Amino acid sequence: MAADPAAVPQWQRGRFASWFVTIDHKRIGILYIATAGFFFAAGGIMALLIRTQLAQAEMGFIERDGYNELFTIHGTTMIFLVVVPILAGFGNYLVPLMIGARDMAFPRLNAMSYWLFLFGGIVLLLSFFADEGAARGGWTSYPPNSVYSEGNGQDLWILSLHILTLSSLAGAINFIVTIHNMRTRGMSWTRLPLFVWSIEVYAGLLLLVLPALSAGLTLLLLDRQAGTNFFVPSDGGDAVLYQHVFWFFGHPEVYIMILPVFGIISEVIPVFARKPIFGYKAIAFSSVAIGFFSLLVWAHHMFTVGMPSVLNGFFMVSSMVIAVPTAIKIFNWLATLWRGNLHFDTAMLFALGFVSVFTIGGLSGIFLAAFPIDWQVHDTYYVVAHLHYVLFGGSILGILAGLHYWWPKMFGRLLDERLGKWSFWFIFIGFNVTFFPQHMLGLLGMPRRIYTYDDRGLIEDYNLVSSIGSYVMGLGILLFLWNVWRSRKGARAGNDPWLADTLEWYTTSPPPPHNFDEVPYVTSARPLYDLRRRLKERNAL
Amino acid sequence: MPAAVRRSLVPAVLLALLVAAPALAGNGGVAPVEPASPNAERINDSYYWVSIFTGAIFVLVQATLIIFIVRYRRRRRARTEDGAQVHGNTNIELAWTIAPVLILVAIGTFVFYKLPGIQNVPDASAQGGRVDIEVKGYRYYWNYTYPNGVIAVDRLRAPVGQNVRLELTAPPFDVIHSWWIPALGGKFDAIPGQTNETWFNAEAPGVYRGQCAEFCGVQHAEMKATVEAMPREEFESWLEDEARAQEAGSSDLGEQTYAGACAKCHGLGGEGDIGPQLRGNSLLDDPDAIEEVVRNGRGEMPPIGKDWEDRQMDALTEYLKEELLGGG
Repeated sequence: MAADPAAVPQWQRGRFASWFVTIDHKRIGILYIATAGFFFAAGGIMALLIRTQLAQAEMGFIERDGYNELFTIHGTTMIFLVVVPILAGFGNYLVPLMIGARDMAFPRLNAMSYWLFLFGGIVLLLSFFADEGAARGGWTSYPPNSVYSEGNGQDLWILSLHILTLSSLAGAINFIVTIHNMRTRGMSWTRLPLFVWSIEVYAGLLLLVLPALSAGLTLLLLDRQAGTNFFVPSDGGDAVLYQHVFWFFGHPEVYIMILPVFGIISEVIPVFARKPIFGYKAIAFSSVAIGFFSLLVWAHHMFTVGMPSVLNGFFMVSSMVIAVPTAIKIFNWLATLWRGNLHFDTAMLFALGFVSVFTIGGLSGIFLAAFPIDWQVHDTYYVVAHLHYVLFGGSILGILAGLHYWWPKMFGRLLDERLGKWSFWFIFIGFNVTFFPQHMLGLLGMPRRIYTYDDRGLIEDYNLVSSIGSYVMGLGILLFLWNVWRSRKGARAGNDPWLADTLEWYTTSPPPPHNFDEVPYVTSARPLYDLRRRLKERNAL
Repeated sequence: MPAAVRRSLVPAVLLALLVAAPALAGNGGVAPVEPASPNAERINDSYYWVSIFTGAIFVLVQATLIIFIVRYRRRRRARTEDGAQVHGNTNIELAWTIAPVLILVAIGTFVFYKLPGIQNVPDASAQGGRVDIEVKGYRYYWNYTYPNGVIAVDRLRAPVGQNVRLELTAPPFDVIHSWWIPALGGKFDAIPGQTNETWFNAEAPGVYRGQCAEFCGVQHAEMKATVEAMPREEFESWLEDEARAQEAGSSDLGEQTYAGACAKCHGLGGEGDIGPQLRGNSLLDDPDAIEEVVRNGRGEMPPIGKDWEDRQMDALTEYLKEELLGGG
């Protein structure tokens, strides 16, 4: 619980010191988001370097190991240091507010999670300065290649992921305990905000699959440093075993990165459509269904390793099954727009942009799930396009929707709408120009993870278009940062600038350390809507 | 231009791009490359079948999104004005749960119907017989062994109109690679300590290009493969001639091996690149010393030829001595 202000020693009240010692979930949430934002900039610069090298055939900008380090650390950064922790940041900030609690269940553990995340990130980025450079086996780091990788970059990569795993595990337990035990009066499971539902599934999945990652990484480390041969076939190991262990973690990880974003979208769209969400229960239960099935699909990343048809078939069917709850969500969001009073504030633009491009990412996933088609497109730029449609077009656009939506709550100031809309259009158009042509590149035969190509003609054309798109997207991100910088002097937000429905908007912006002076009894999934209606009725009398 | 109209422009432009691309060249990348083998053709059939459904869903979702955005935009309504307070509709929700299931059943059924023709390697006793070739992935080249013992590197020759079965593997000391010639079918991994198989039946003479699809290390991007399909008689006479030449030590196997296994790190002229300069290196005079390095690796150089047959090793040492020792 937040400490009594009078009991805090003088030195801990300083402008900087207070952030280092804080155990307030809101400050920790902001630390998570800001740190992840910094890592996003780092990973984004790596992406721009990659696109520059690929802008033309046989470029000599960053080649070979330099390039291989870049795409390895870009992927690892964006997944482990950006999307997963920024969602933990949203969860930290919002879950206690949304359920009417005073803080997370374990505030100190919460602070530890954040600091572990920061240290894990520092280890990963500093590994560029290791002997022989950073890890260069891809974010998947398949052995035996990663076992043979010279220098200490790969070992530091493993160390970093171990630290981040501990951070996420502690965070996941904290979320689950908080959601189960600290809901305010009247906040039953069917009145829980959909974002909180999604964080519940996010945390449950992390808890289930992170141990598999830890085990796989430990075996990999032993193979590299202790002379064991779990994954080295020359001494009896099995090269494919690691892939099973890794993807048992790796595929649920994809849903860990998208489910809370579904939650954000399910909060944003109704507020800007001035409607209740269409099919609350269907959306909540489809999150749980996606979480469950995500544990059964891992080997669809391994259709080319030569599994028997029975296994290929099983993983194809289970992967396609996930398309059903996902489709349900998209239809529900669309139906929420139906007969609404749609307000196109920047948060809503990002949310609608999300629905549009996430649909494309979902549809290309069906081709990948059909394993004979996967045999053509696996490990090509088609997969790169697909995963960016899901993780940038999906996760990042959704996160930007969330940032624009909750920014006034976090800082008490509104972001500039005009600048926000400009940044949306740059990012949305730049994103599609960057990644849509990559579908074609993959179908034309361009594998992923190559630093150079010698095909002139179409392959070079599409690559150039893609690189230009990435710069446009980069400009959009800069506009967003400019907007953030300017918001220090933005208009005051008030408690509830969007006339939203959930409890976090009941308190001040930003909320006081103890969150609420009083929490209203929760009568539905939209407590503030109910309050406004009652107020209106009373005034009418 | 109101935001809603601008929004609708983007999908329109994307759609135009999708339609315009085929006009540029071949299919322009909207489907896998032009197939030249029955297995690749059946994969393309599956791809088009799935495209029908995904295309329809794409249009349905994006059109609905745009129509709703335009139709239900706020116009002059205040934020306090509620939209329709609809919480759900069981029938509609059931419908859009069942519809995707039916679509997925249609997709799955078609894919499993096509699967045997894609995956199953035709029988050796089938009409026209079959050529079995061993394909081994090494860092960063492909080594082929034909049924009569002929060895080739990176460029695979194959008969037109005859089934070719590939036995894919990698030596136990190497890493995972992936064999992929897009026009001749899907990719399969060449995994150390494990053997996978695939096949093709080239429909026309020509050179089909592909490259390793599983990241395998620093020169993964240079690990390319070509299949040269030639008329059957031509292929058979080449194979016999090549067998004789390799017996006699007069083939170009040394040059092929150098270009495939050595040049990607040491340069085509031995001038040095990732690996040290070879041209003029006194080591080249000593076949045993070369063999020692090639079989066991040295420093960052992997043991690229640990399990070569003597014939390939001799061809390489001879080539190195003749071509790279003298010059400077």
